[in-house]
Amino acid sequence: MLEARGEDLPDLFSSCVLALFSLLVDRRTVRGTEIRGVEAAGETAEAQLFSLLREALLLFAVHKFLARSARVTIEGKRVTLTLAGEPFDSERHSVDREIKAVTAHLMSVKRSPGGYLARFVVDV
Amino acid sequence: MRFQDVEIRKLSDTMWEIPREGGMRVPGLVFASEAMMGDIVRDEAIRQVMNVAHLPGILKHSIGMPDIHWGYGFPIGGVAAMDAREGVVSPGGVGYDINCGVRLLRSDLTVDALRPKLRELVAALHREVPSGVGSTGFVRLTAKDEEKVLTQGSRWAASRGFASAQDIACTESGGTLPGADPDAVSAVARKRGRDQLGTLGSGNHFLEIDEVAEVFDDEAARAFGLFPGQAAVLIHSGSRGLGYQVCDDYLQTMADYMRRNAIDLPDRQLACAHIRSPEGERYLSALAAAANYAFANRQLLAHQARETFLRFLGMGPNDLGMRMVYDCGHNNAKFEEHEVDGRVRTVLVHRKGATRCFPPGNAEIPEPYRHVGQPVLIPGDMGNASYVLAGAPEGMRLSFGSTCHGAGRRMSRTQARSSVRGKSIIQEMERRGVIVACASHKTLAEEIPEAYKDVSEVVDVVHDAGIARRVARLKPLAVVKG
Repeated sequence: MLEARGEDLPDLFSSCVLALFSLLVDRRTVRGTEIRGVEAAGETAEAQLFSLLREALLLFAVHKFLARSARVTIEGKRVTLTLAGEPFDSERHSVDREIKAVTAHLMSVKRSPGGYLARFVVDV
Repeated sequence: MRFQDVEIRKLSDTMWEIPREGGMRVPGLVFASEAMMGDIVRDEAIRQVMNVAHLPGILKHSIGMPDIHWGYGFPIGGVAAMDAREGVVSPGGVGYDINCGVRLLRSDLTVDALRPKLRELVAALHREVPSGVGSTGFVRLTAKDEEKVLTQGSRWAASRGFASAQDIACTESGGTLPGADPDAVSAVARKRGRDQLGTLGSGNHFLEIDEVAEVFDDEAARAFGLFPGQAAVLIHSGSRGLGYQVCDDYLQTMADYMRRNAIDLPDRQLACAHIRSPEGERYLSALAAAANYAFANRQLLAHQARETFLRFLGMGPNDLGMRMVYDCGHNNAKFEEHEVDGRVRTVLVHRKGATRCFPPGNAEIPEPYRHVGQPVLIPGDMGNASYVLAGAPEGMRLSFGSTCHGAGRRMSRTQARSSVRGKSIIQEMERRGVIVACASHKTLAEEIPEAYKDVSEVVDVVHDAGIARRVARLKPLAVVKG
């Protein structure tokens, strides 16, 4: 179970994406030399986050891209994620675990006193 | 025994019934000892057995094995058989790692003869058998090759010289599931799997050198080619990123299907479609393709292991005698014939963290083993033991020819990591007489023996229940982990 917080929804979503990448790699070892963009959509905040996290995982699982930082914008149902990072390099990056998938199990997005709180479960 | 507000009925020393309530179509049935049941009711696995019982077309029972633990939607260690006409298929009832399974290779080597070279051999296996995240296989697949892997499974490996006829004969379903359609596998899934064929992966996947420490059933052990003091190789891996992506893709397909067809279930990770719907049929074609990828993957891993032994020990294949005992999956859904209400019916058996265990005489068992029953491979934790079992008759009556698949986790990965903080697991394992080579120390911490239930207790339950019987106990000597 991963938990992330944000001041607003875009901030929350980018924290969630960074939490996902932090589970893969120590982000301090990743240089922000390349930019990648991902788009996702959903009817609810949970659906948007689920879709966004699935796409973000594929950046590593398919394209071997690791993120150092993330920025999210939301327009209506559409979410745009911009990541700074670099391709996986086995000499410099130690990826400790394989994330099979982001699951819908117990996924939640809630308002909290300081902004927003999200919880989600990934299968490792 | 109680689980929250549910009274669980003890049927015998090894079986417990969860009565039907609410929308449950069948009762639940859990195989466990009284002590294990006391642990099982503490997490949500029983609730998940009850949730699975809501699925349309489920027959007889929603079943839990003694290694049951909390999963996503379906519990891990769960079995659900569906009527092939009216029932549903659920990707969550198979799991993300489609046809994840175990393969055992026997040898003519004794552990005593191997021991002086063991450390260097393990280092060689760690070099030659790709493991860990980001590793790639020794075979470069074109898109066309990958399609052949998806349709032919282990037979593709044989066509490339990576499998013998005996390897194929001793793999469940001959290493090829029928009905596989590469077009049902998304381009993303195929891309995810393209360079991973022949890689172990990470997490609980491993390659072990084991000693046959104890034989319980001489006749079956003889048939399987096992003897006390023998060195053997146990491999645990699955369909890698391709299988994960197939599951993920079809969970979304099934969620849409459920919305359109107003199927209401207690957990969205139980997403399903009718077996006879276009969505259900397409998933089953993709499932077969991913299962074939897993068979081919374990075949390549076995080939690499065998070649490494031959090269490192400077032996010929006949002297080494490293032959397949068996390869069985433990995350699958297969059409099988089973007796239900007094007549034989075709049913789709979902096994998520459960192993097929057909009894003696079944035509699906390789001929040399048919008189003793299907070999069943049950990996335990890396410090203690794994087991070889054989299918037994009660399995067909009670559990759709299914048994347990491993020890089952006792601690979460986070709990396991916290419990070992500051300790050297490699040194600790050495003290126990197990050499470990690993790609990630974090993963290793999550796989400490204490994180798992006692596999011997799990095996005792299925043996005493008569669904599978003990043949041999394996003791790990060396482990290669991702």
